[in-house]
Amino acid sequence: MTYISVNQVSKKFRRRGQVTEALRDIAIHLEEGTFVSLIGPSGCGKSTLLRIIGGLETADEGEVLVEGVAPLEAQSHKRFGFVPQAPALFPWRTILENMRLPFEVNRKGGRQTPEQTEEAKELLHSVGLGDFLNAYPKELSGGMQQRVGIVRAFASGAPILLMDEPFSALDEITRERIRYQLMEIWDSHKKTVVFVTHSIREAVFLSDKVVVMSSRPGRVTEIVDIELPRPRRHELEETEEYLRYVHHIKGLLRERWEH
Amino acid sequence: MTTQQNAIDNAAASSRIRETGIGWHKALGAARRLGGYGYPALAFVLLFGGWELAVRLFRINPLTLPAPSGILNALFSDFSFYLDHAGVTLYEAIVGFVIGSALALIGGVLMAHSPALERMLLPIAVLANVTPIVAIAPLLIIWFGFGSFPKMLIAAIITFFPMLVNSITGFRSIDQNNYEYLRSLHASKAEIFFKLRLPNSLPYLFSASKTCITLSVIGAVVAEWSGADKGLGNLVMVFSNYMQIEKMFAAIAMLAAMGIVLTAVIRIVEQRALYWHSSTQTREG
Repeated sequence: MTYISVNQVSKKFRRRGQVTEALRDIAIHLEEGTFVSLIGPSGCGKSTLLRIIGGLETADEGEVLVEGVAPLEAQSHKRFGFVPQAPALFPWRTILENMRLPFEVNRKGGRQTPEQTEEAKELLHSVGLGDFLNAYPKELSGGMQQRVGIVRAFASGAPILLMDEPFSALDEITRERIRYQLMEIWDSHKKTVVFVTHSIREAVFLSDKVVVMSSRPGRVTEIVDIELPRPRRHELEETEEYLRYVHHIKGLLRERWEH
Repeated sequence: MTTQQNAIDNAAASSRIRETGIGWHKALGAARRLGGYGYPALAFVLLFGGWELAVRLFRINPLTLPAPSGILNALFSDFSFYLDHAGVTLYEAIVGFVIGSALALIGGVLMAHSPALERMLLPIAVLANVTPIVAIAPLLIIWFGFGSFPKMLIAAIITFFPMLVNSITGFRSIDQNNYEYLRSLHASKAEIFFKLRLPNSLPYLFSASKTCITLSVIGAVVAEWSGADKGLGNLVMVFSNYMQIEKMFAAIAMLAAMGIVLTAVIRIVEQRALYWHSSTQTREG
């Protein structure tokens, strides 16, 4: 049985009488413990698809099953660790208190154990934020804040991480560094990740599978299996194999442009 | 610099300060050394000193404008009397402020969650807000008598609207990413309210409180004018009828002092509660 299955999902948005077809007949199947990226031009519905999987939005047609149940039910069992575009840190909470947040709401879905508190601290240390456990978000730079957001998802106990362009607001240098850190954390946790991005290099570097999408309507162009060895470190980005994948996906996206 | 500007406007006063041996530059220098309090203190000294001098030099009739020294004399020759009446007004204003704020918060919660309710209730609140409160005061005195209750009611009505509007804004203007994050955890509406909406509204509520606490004092005073046997508003009215201008000013000075203390209290609580809000520098990294 596939871990997350998206079957013939369609979604339309109606705004002021105008109908936009965000997604048409999307079908993807994701295995447990894999890293999957959704890539495409803006307006291809990749974020919408992520939000449907996470139960933040509903599909007009088709069906999504997460661990065999509907997204909303999976959500109620706290199966998702969500990382939105901007780091969703509450300004009145310290970094550690923000890490505790996922355990404070919907307690039926799970509470924080002492081990998890320790794990949260260790993860923060591992990304260089060990000195900021009791700092407030405003004392951290944008890159540091987003690192907290990512680490929080890993420490939240959720097996499925949904990341919606988490690096889009960061500068190139910070972005690269966090990408490598994300890879290191993922190597040791092996959670299922659905990662929305518009960076081809990022998608190829991180993923087992890249879902290439086109826009208006949002459809799947091709699903590319990335068979690069793991663990992946930054040297990989210099190899020919890696660049071949990048060129292939670039080609797929350009093809769609030229239509 | 406004202090300097004041000084230039107040050339007469400053030249007299120079005559008495306190050089203008020395005064400014002293103000600078006193840090954050120096300039305001200097401005107050200039204002009240200028007032005192003007009254003495131009021999202004104390029935028109008494000198600050005369007012202070009137105030402190019978301080406990003024304090008693201040207590009455303060009590009315604070109880009114608390009731008005509590009702506004309840209304804010309801309206922030239900647009239909907001559309129904907000126009009524607006109507209550645009109606001059002075016009309702005599009516409330007729209905509820000369006691404290109608004063509290007016203070409450005057507090209600700014608090309501600010609480709705505060509850609604939450960060969308934070909201979605809580939703992704299947947080309940109550959890979203207490974890996100309420803390988010605090800066708005404090900002409204600073306005409303002074408004509630005004409300209590206005209500006292319409009929009361106690309170500073009542004193102002009585003394003006008897042309006891110094005593009237003493009551007004008490009102001003009350406003300062109340605003300061809210400011202190605000600084404690909003430790996270003031914008300080972010660290690079």
